[in-house]
Amino acid sequence: MTDDSAQRRYPRFSLSDRLEHWVQVVVFTGLAITGLVQTWSESWFPKVIITGLGGINSTRFIHRSLAVAALIATAYHLGTAGYRFFVKRTGHHMLPGLNDVRAAMRSVSFNLNLRPDAPHQGKFTFAEKAEYWSIIWGTVLMAVTGLMMWNPIATTGILPGELIPAAKAAHGGEAILAVLAILVWHMYFVYVQPFNRSMFNGYLSEEEMYEDHRLELESISAGEGTITIPPETLRRRRRIFFPVYGAIVILGAAFVLLFLAYQEIAITTVTPPPSGVEVYTPYAPATVPPSADAAPPTVAP
Amino acid sequence: MVNRKVRNLLIFAAVLLALGVGSTRRASAEVAVEWDNATCLECHSDPGFSMELPSGEDLDLTIDEERWNRSIHAEWDMKCVFCHTEITAIPHDPPSFYDSREYAIQKSEACIVCHREQEVIEDSVHAQAREEGNDQAAVCSDCHDAHYTTDPPISHTAIPETCRSCHAEIYDRYAESVHGSALTEGNPDVPTCTDCHGVHEIAGPSRGTFHLFSPEICASCHADEELMGEYGIKTDVFSTYVADFHGRTITLFQEITPDQATNAPVCISCHGVHDIRSADEAGSTVAKENLLTTCQHCHPNADTAFPEAWMSHYSASADEWPIVYYVRLFYRIVIPVVIGGMLIYVAIDVTGRRRRRKGVQSD
Repeated sequence: MTDDSAQRRYPRFSLSDRLEHWVQVVVFTGLAITGLVQTWSESWFPKVIITGLGGINSTRFIHRSLAVAALIATAYHLGTAGYRFFVKRTGHHMLPGLNDVRAAMRSVSFNLNLRPDAPHQGKFTFAEKAEYWSIIWGTVLMAVTGLMMWNPIATTGILPGELIPAAKAAHGGEAILAVLAILVWHMYFVYVQPFNRSMFNGYLSEEEMYEDHRLELESISAGEGTITIPPETLRRRRRIFFPVYGAIVILGAAFVLLFLAYQEIAITTVTPPPSGVEVYTPYAPATVPPSADAAPPTVAP
Repeated sequence: MVNRKVRNLLIFAAVLLALGVGSTRRASAEVAVEWDNATCLECHSDPGFSMELPSGEDLDLTIDEERWNRSIHAEWDMKCVFCHTEITAIPHDPPSFYDSREYAIQKSEACIVCHREQEVIEDSVHAQAREEGNDQAAVCSDCHDAHYTTDPPISHTAIPETCRSCHAEIYDRYAESVHGSALTEGNPDVPTCTDCHGVHEIAGPSRGTFHLFSPEICASCHADEELMGEYGIKTDVFSTYVADFHGRTITLFQEITPDQATNAPVCISCHGVHDIRSADEAGSTVAKENLLTTCQHCHPNADTAFPEAWMSHYSASADEWPIVYYVRLFYRIVIPVVIGGMLIYVAIDVTGRRRRRKGVQSD
């Protein structure tokens, strides 16, 4: 490889991709912090954070606000991913396949010195696909279990009550899994394994492309990088895609809003309902008059 | 004669002053010779001795000498005039008060001279009610007999009877409760009024802080393994409550924002207050058939499946709340397997890279 080619840059993430990623980072981190402190609220450090956030009620409020932000970000991603997949027809890069299993196994045997060469991978490596689909799965699971707990009244109108504490267990377990996976998998691949700057500047170097995305590099070199879609086809696809996507988003938003707001979750009055007992009710036995022995003379009749 | 009387009065005033400063709880027996109780009892031991108050009320003025002699104050050699300081001559004028209630309130000042620690503190719900103009709010002599108080002043089993004189409706509920009925049967382990409400510092259960910290009151017995063991009652009721949404909210409010109000339920919100019944009893608010109604106090839209969302103080097991148990088990296995797998992959990747780098260097 010449110095020239090493300096050639290959676009990987557009500005909007990168913005989306960093919004996800903020939302994910915020959700993880405000959520895990609730899981471990009996320990001192989570308590410090909850105190800093203004108490448990405001911590829950922030968590749910971020959850709404995460839902919006997910709807946005559904749009961009759907557009890629159905309109531009380039979304197949992210689809997992047997090749990825093979790439994972080859990568391990290469590292164990059982194979002479690393697996050749496309635009997204098996590690990236695994993470992407884990996040999709995690988002769905967290959204479903989170909404179940948010309005348990609506949930138990449809589902058995036992699913509420089950949702809580799953929400907490999945959260720990997700945070650990990000810390181990994502941090290793983008920060420890040669630092990947593409989420900052949007580009990969030729060396990085050669190392991790050789198949993509080869197809770009062979001139297969860009597919031009005839404007008429593009228009036709858009005419179908946008109404369908719009309908899905509107229906989804309507469902969530209705689910959360249709029924009262709990009373909001500050004091619980009174027991209905009169406090001051002097004892007045019907037949036996109070004797001097039984009651002090000063007790009012 | 007059001079001696004046001298004795001066001595008595000095004693009162000393008591007022709080230097001693007991008065010495030698003072106020002429004011010996016998002097008072010359008239006040007469059965049927009474007077009509301006209110038209008949006030019994008779002292049962035998009972007085058994009282803690007689044991301490207290003199009538230590409390009845308004008596300065014999025969004396009837004290000026409208009715017996006014007299009782007035006379509680006399108790406080010695019983400083029991002086109803400002926080007491009775003191507060009296300040707000409620004359019926309890003073010392409403609970402790003015003349015949023994030591201990009120036995454990007699406490509910004492409170009953003003809180009869609450008493009736308590008497039928799991605690009250056991007390009637002579069980000394069950709580009476003062075990939950306190004695002289009774704070008033309608205050936010009472609600917020009330689970600790229940836990003081219900988390006690030795005490509960005798009755076969589970002691993890408190920990399972705290593990759930409601209990977690309450504990965090206690620790972080005790000044803020919360309506998250505490033990008594579901189990009842004075009318707490055994959870196994059919009439209990937490019995299976009544649970939905209980939930609906705070969750008016709750439907039949809702109560199952609360794990009824169970920790999930293969038998109780099995879905919860298996979800937890799933993550207990999946988290270490997935993260462990990732770590193994990373470790292999790191060693591979290091070996290749070394290989490149040695080439």
